[in-house]
Amino acid sequence: MSFFKNLFGSKHADNNTSVLCAPLAGEAVAISEVNDPTFSEEILGKGVAIKPTGNQIVAPCDGTVEMMFDTGHAVSMTSTQGAEILIHVGLETVSLKGKHYQVHAGNGDKVTKGQLLITFDREAIAAEGFDTITPIVICNSDQFSNITVHTGTVNPGDELITLTK
Amino acid sequence: MKTITYVIQDPIGLHARPAGQLAKAAGAWKECDIKITVGAKTVDAKRIMGVMQLGAKQGNTLTLAVSGPQEAEAAAALEEFLKNNL
Repeated sequence: MSFFKNLFGSKHADNNTSVLCAPLAGEAVAISEVNDPTFSEEILGKGVAIKPTGNQIVAPCDGTVEMMFDTGHAVSMTSTQGAEILIHVGLETVSLKGKHYQVHAGNGDKVTKGQLLITFDREAIAAEGFDTITPIVICNSDQFSNITVHTGTVNPGDELITLTK
Repeated sequence: MKTITYVIQDPIGLHARPAGQLAKAAGAWKECDIKITVGAKTVDAKRIMGVMQLGAKQGNTLTLAVSGPQEAEAAAALEEFLKNNL
């Protein structure tokens, strides 16, 4: 274990590389699998999407909440290393106008990795016919030389995106 | 500098996805400096995060200030984008 600790420790100490953790539980898939060209064609930036199995969105890293949409369907934050992250909970879910979503943080809040941002009723959202796939994109992708995403089953706190400046 | 104003018609407002699309449309004009103002907030139109932070809703007036070598074309293109998307 100590070997891994050291490995990750040195990674985090490197100012050019930062790690974003999964903000929710589910299956991480390539962003190209999202059934919305704004995300799948990376118009908003590079990233990954999670098909949720949980109902909580937590902060993927330490940083500042930039915009918590009052509908709770999306949140953007800036990491302490300067990554601008958008988490969009479900597709077209803006039209639910906040129904089935609860927000737990506000604009300008400093948050720490793992802190609860949003809870959502996944079954109820799906029952209304919405795709609950949740894209997580880096809006300022052009400021990073490399963005690597991890796919497969993830839990909150698992490594999801590695960013290199 | 060219200035255009637009009142948001979309009942849902300038939410996450259109904010990103607007920032991309603005970013296409690399040599222009483009600012958006809503109420007391002014942001760089090319920064997705900034445009989202405006939190602009239906009935809000967006003011775009475009300056640069192709400001007239950029302003016209962005006005068209706003009419078609918001």
